[in-house]
Amino acid sequence: MLSHTDLLLSLSVVKGPCSSEQARAPESSREEEERTSYQALKFTDKHEWIRVEDNGTGTVGISNFAQEALGDVVYCGLPEVGTQLAQQDEFGALESVKAASELYSPLTGEVVEVNTLLADNPGLVNKSCYKDGWLMKMTIAKPAELDSLMDEAAYERYIHSIED
Amino acid sequence: MLGTFCVLSAGVQRAWSSSSCLFMDPSSPGLVLQSQSTDVFQNLALEDWIDAHVDLQQRSVLLLWRNRPTVVIGRHQNPWAECNLPAMRSAQVPVARRRSGGGTVYHDLGNLNLTFFASKKAYDRRRNLKVVTDALRRVRPQLDIQATDRLDILLNGHYKISGTASRLSRKSSYHHCTLLHSADRSAIAVLLRPSCPGIRSNATPSIPSPVANLSDHAPSLQWEELLEAVVQQYSSEFGLTSSSQCVDPADEALFPGVGSMEAELRSWEWTFGKTPKFSVETQLELRDERPAARCSAQLQLEVKNGRVESCRVEVPATWLPERLSASLAQALLGERFCPHRAAAALSALLRCESGPLHSRLHNLCDVLVAAMG
Repeated sequence: MLSHTDLLLSLSVVKGPCSSEQARAPESSREEEERTSYQALKFTDKHEWIRVEDNGTGTVGISNFAQEALGDVVYCGLPEVGTQLAQQDEFGALESVKAASELYSPLTGEVVEVNTLLADNPGLVNKSCYKDGWLMKMTIAKPAELDSLMDEAAYERYIHSIED
Repeated sequence: MLGTFCVLSAGVQRAWSSSSCLFMDPSSPGLVLQSQSTDVFQNLALEDWIDAHVDLQQRSVLLLWRNRPTVVIGRHQNPWAECNLPAMRSAQVPVARRRSGGGTVYHDLGNLNLTFFASKKAYDRRRNLKVVTDALRRVRPQLDIQATDRLDILLNGHYKISGTASRLSRKSSYHHCTLLHSADRSAIAVLLRPSCPGIRSNATPSIPSPVANLSDHAPSLQWEELLEAVVQQYSSEFGLTSSSQCVDPADEALFPGVGSMEAELRSWEWTFGKTPKFSVETQLELRDERPAARCSAQLQLEVKNGRVESCRVEVPATWLPERLSASLAQALLGERFCPHRAAAALSALLRCESGPLHSRLHNLCDVLVAAMG
């Protein structure tokens, strides 16, 4: 019987998607953890993503494509907790060296948390756009709206179409 | 009309009855507009309107405008940190918050603003600045004009004559920049300094630079000649016929909804209420006249959405009883961070207190109000 540590070490060298519980262990590579959570994301055509958490709230951020296009983020203008948002409402802005860029809500719901780490460390949006650079969390008032968003594969095709 | 500077150039200036005539000419890849207004809020509202309503996927627009004396701060800036609001009140110079990022600038009639509208795909600030630098080099080839990595334009490698900011929105983008022709530089020095001491904030800061006017180094360059040069260069770069149209940004028939955009930009909630949370920590110097005496106190305030969220006034108990300084601090809670509002809130308290401590309390109130910019 392999020890717990042996099992984790052997799993951590495996690249590619992995849905087993062990892949979420802290010792697994950052890339693997990013990809595991990346697969559950839905995307908007404005390059925001939303991930439905176990407790039914949605975590919102911007995609890698968006953070690259923006350049270094110097300020995150985020909404107040309690703000009511309709799908596609402006909920804030990111200021980068390139521009002030509006943020659009992927769904209808209420803001329940904002990422306070971004106040002193706005660069997290560039460094870790799918994880530590999350922007806000919101309730999902109309779950059917999720169907109008793109999954990862559709979003990849979308990016290629606009890059052409 | 105050501040009209519409240049009747080679093109015909037409009267526009609706914006669809103005913007929907399919034969033209774009157009150049000049604002008739020198009101910063009307001009910023016009920018918003064009950004929201004009289809920029196949065309580009250049808007030329200037303002009566105004200080314009960037989207995420702190007006109390960036400019001297009491001095501006005395001089009747308003502050405006724009929707683009970047730092604080002083506008007056000697400063030309250029806004380049394009689709997000066509967003190219360097190309836009090249219009400006090429135009300047064409009319005054002896001037040393360079755009920097930060997208400033420098004269003689040293003096900033232009700064840039931009905004990316739903479908389109705009990039605007200033251009110093003959602005009042002494006003810049006086007005672009903090309103009050002790501000701690993570709002986007300005980067101060030495500035110069084009007219200082090319005295024969007239305003009209500068405008013409820019219009011609833009037209040639973007493939338009070289003419520009005058528009009135307050014309609701031409720009339906522009009035409410202007009202939002003028509002206290946008200008001050959008300030990122900040704190003020400063020492207050208190004094008594008869007999002469002095004392130092500490003020600590947190301001959120432009209002006092928390306040501590620490005055030695030998100077004033703690209950009095605590009730002063209490009176400011929830009020706008503003000397007038503070004075009104505190005067109600002052009326309730008479007796030997009244003059010290009055002095503390005055000093508190002065610390609020």
